Amino acid sequence: MIEPEEPALSSSESASLERGYRRLLTWYPKWFRLQNTEEILAVLMACAQEGQTRPSLEAAADLLKGAARMRLRPRPGQPRTVFAAVWLMIAAAAAELGVMVTLLATESGVKADLIARYPAYAHAIGHAVNVQVTLDEVVGPIVIAVWLWLAWMSSRGKQRGRVALAVFFGLTSLSVLYALSEGSLVYAPAAMSVGLGIWAIAAAAIMLIFNKASSPYFQRREPALV
Amino acid sequence: MQEATFLILTALASGTQHGYGIISDVADISGGRVKLLAGTLYTALERLRADGLIEVDREEIVDNRLRRYYRLTPDGGKRLAAEAARLHSHATTALRRLNLNLAGGAA
Repeated sequence: MIEPEEPALSSSESASLERGYRRLLTWYPKWFRLQNTEEILAVLMACAQEGQTRPSLEAAADLLKGAARMRLRPRPGQPRTVFAAVWLMIAAAAAELGVMVTLLATESGVKADLIARYPAYAHAIGHAVNVQVTLDEVVGPIVIAVWLWLAWMSSRGKQRGRVALAVFFGLTSLSVLYALSEGSLVYAPAAMSVGLGIWAIAAAAIMLIFNKASSPYFQRREPALV
Repeated sequence: MQEATFLILTALASGTQHGYGIISDVADISGGRVKLLAGTLYTALERLRADGLIEVDREEIVDNRLRRYYRLTPDGGKRLAAEAARLHSHATTALRRLNLNLAGGAA
């Protein structure tokens, strides 16, 4: 059996190096850190060079790569269906963010284009576009926050998160139906397509969350590892 | 199976090992060619545990540091044996063909 021996480091060198490694390990998911931090630190310190006070670039890159991989993996006990649904919810948040940024970035262009087409209504158009943008600036971040909250709740197996997702999906479906009934597909095909895309992501997420394989994860008394 | 995974399982085939022991053993087995870093090792160990190929044997505190020992599970042993047989078969075929070619070239 190979016995690890920590290199001869002064207490200040050792403390400095350990702090550096601990900082890098914070990039790992919490459940992983709770289980493995002390053990990995022991190995990292045993592999240290004499006089080393900071993690090497190679070790730092390796730990960050490991952290990224662990974050792309289901936590222990988490069904793959839940894991996939959580990523779909994060994708929906990212899509909402994309929509919000696009709307804000194209605001002046859209306004100028509409005014050029209908110069007689310039004032009304300017006002309407400003109202819409203000609405998007308020509603957009809320919707993004809701998606991220739902992802967080679902990843931890919280039953309330599952119920909230169902309610949110219902509201999303109603807003899509309303937009369709108002003829958005004809007058604003790009916006409607994105809206339908996000609705499809939400539908896929809800099917995965309410899948038979996911249910036991939400029915435990204790939530998953924090 | 990735090479690092194969080497980690091979390191555990002879008995329980802790993290540092696996790193040293993998370097020995590969003739110093494969140097596992802690991030790679623990990502692999976590995956192997999740797949049921290895398990924790025991934990010890040595010099105020946690040392966790891992061992192969029966499934892990079977997977390693199957992979080793596959690699052996491929290597044997490659060497046989090379020998044939060399013999043919010499003739």
